[in-house]
Amino acid sequence: MSAVLQLSNVVKTYGDLRALDGIELSLPEDSYVSLLGPSGSGKTTLLRVIAGFEQPESGAIRFSGKDVSNTPPHERNIGFVFQNFALFPHLSVYDNIAFGLVNRAVDPVTDMKLLDRKVRDMISLVGLAGLEGRATTQISGGQKQRVALARTLVTEPQMVLLDEPLGALDANLRARMRSELRMIRERCGVTFLHVTGSETEALAMGDTVLVLDRARIAQQGDSDTIYNRPCSPAVARFLNCYNLFSGKMADGGFATAQGLLGFQGHPQRAADPAYAIRYDRVDIRPAGAAATADEVQIEGTFIASEYTGSAVNAFFSLDDGKVFEVEAHLSHRAPENYEPHRRYALAWKREDALVFA
Amino acid sequence: MNASGIKFGLGVYTTLFLVFLYGPLVVLAILSFQTGPEGGPQFPIIEWSTYWYKHLFGLTPPSRIAPLPIDQGLGRSMLLAMMTMVVSTILGVTAAQAFRRKFTGSGVVFYLIVLGMMVPGVLVGLGMALVANTLGIERHWWGTAFVLHVVYTFPFAFLVMLAIFNRFDSSVEEASWSLGVSPARTFRKVTFPLIFPGVLSAMLFAFTLSYDEFSRTLFASGRDLTLPLAIYGTFSVEVHPNVFAFGVLTTLFSFALLSVYAVLMGLSVRRAKRIAVQEEA
Repeated sequence: MSAVLQLSNVVKTYGDLRALDGIELSLPEDSYVSLLGPSGSGKTTLLRVIAGFEQPESGAIRFSGKDVSNTPPHERNIGFVFQNFALFPHLSVYDNIAFGLVNRAVDPVTDMKLLDRKVRDMISLVGLAGLEGRATTQISGGQKQRVALARTLVTEPQMVLLDEPLGALDANLRARMRSELRMIRERCGVTFLHVTGSETEALAMGDTVLVLDRARIAQQGDSDTIYNRPCSPAVARFLNCYNLFSGKMADGGFATAQGLLGFQGHPQRAADPAYAIRYDRVDIRPAGAAATADEVQIEGTFIASEYTGSAVNAFFSLDDGKVFEVEAHLSHRAPENYEPHRRYALAWKREDALVFA
Repeated sequence: MNASGIKFGLGVYTTLFLVFLYGPLVVLAILSFQTGPEGGPQFPIIEWSTYWYKHLFGLTPPSRIAPLPIDQGLGRSMLLAMMTMVVSTILGVTAAQAFRRKFTGSGVVFYLIVLGMMVPGVLVGLGMALVANTLGIERHWWGTAFVLHVVYTFPFAFLVMLAIFNRFDSSVEEASWSLGVSPARTFRKVTFPLIFPGVLSAMLFAFTLSYDEFSRTLFASGRDLTLPLAIYGTFSVEVHPNVFAFGVLTTLFSFALLSVYAVLMGLSVRRAKRIAVQEEA
């Protein structure tokens, strides 16, 4: 698959702050890419640089084979969907969607019949039929989202950037829009770059997931790889499904405040050493239970648990005060009742642990 | 003091304020209906009549009181106010647009612009007259005075537009660019319609300030008088109620102008609502 967008060594600073610190990036054609990063990691800046709203200090941006570093935004053919939608408040839904086709500098549509057909096709594609004449203040958040998307897609950009497009929607609508966004993208056949701070959204939507950490791309891969083999403790932390222990490599394991923790295989290279075990790989047993040879076991005091419907998340306090989280899927076993302030053994298989050193 | 006492006190204060504000205007309006030509600008009203209004338009038999020399002055002032309005509003909008991004020296430029409305009019007027004389430029209401009117009203238009742009969400412009629309067309199709209510306010400011500008015009306008100067000229001889009649008419004209402004404003605000109402009907 050929790359539609390539960034090399892109740097953007605001005063002393390096918002983008040498971004290297290559995005495939016709795919859904999600970009995960905590707030302040430079996600929005990266999108704005790609769109041309901000000029990077250095580095090259190649888009479909051309260097677009000095091309103004309206000549890049890259669509942008804003978090706040940024609909034109003085135009109706129909006119919002027709705006780009009528007013664009290159190849504007002057044939009213053709325009009407394109706009109506797009309106039915995103499911807005019947709302054409409404003002943008007279539609709901989900509908605004669709207008913003339709307005962009109807101009047939080669790529669409979405800046936390689901952030302004309520949870129910967010889940529905996820699958709709994917479907709409497949029908249009362009690359979507979807920025989000939610790890579940990033994993659910992206064919490729990029993780941004401290102004750099920390990892790029498919959802499964990112989730199961995060390449650094920082990535593991964003995924919000790993217990992390800091420490250092030692004979026969990884030395932490909890003692020597065993693992199998080779540790991954990373700047800050850490030991990671997934929430759902841990077994809770009565304190003092014996562990088998291929297991690692520590002890902790039960604090509280949280019922999420399909799973129960139990929180334990370890001896050094660190909170340890365990996720038990209810399809596997019935929820057990743990007593607060009582000690339990927490065990996992050596082979499930990830070690960064 | 209890709450109702405060309310009463504020009510009295507001009433007094309004009386002081509009009292002179009411007195003028009443005196303009004095009988003529023998009735003067004082109470009591000898007899109610519309004589002075007729006198204004030359509909009365000739008398010792000369008609008010305003017809040319009115035309000049109108045209001058229109020209000033157009130029100041364009300058105000473009300057405010420039100030949306910080540029080198923007602080200095800001104060230089605002200075135009701060310096005393007499000084600027006199200064302009001296400069014009030195350089051998003839003074005219459409030349030297026009320049001063623009210098005076431009800061008002600029400040109005600055406030409007302050609350403007520029992501709609970025959205337009990302749809392939050039910045110039984006300004025309997106930015301008959204800031239009502010532009109307800026126009109103510039027009009214220029229309009754006196001190700057006094020194800079040369021999053809604008309306405020023409009216002032009649005071130096003897005041007759025809001036009051004219005052009432100009006030009515100002109200008409304000109404047009209100209607235009209402239309641009209500557009979105109208679309919604049609949809529901």
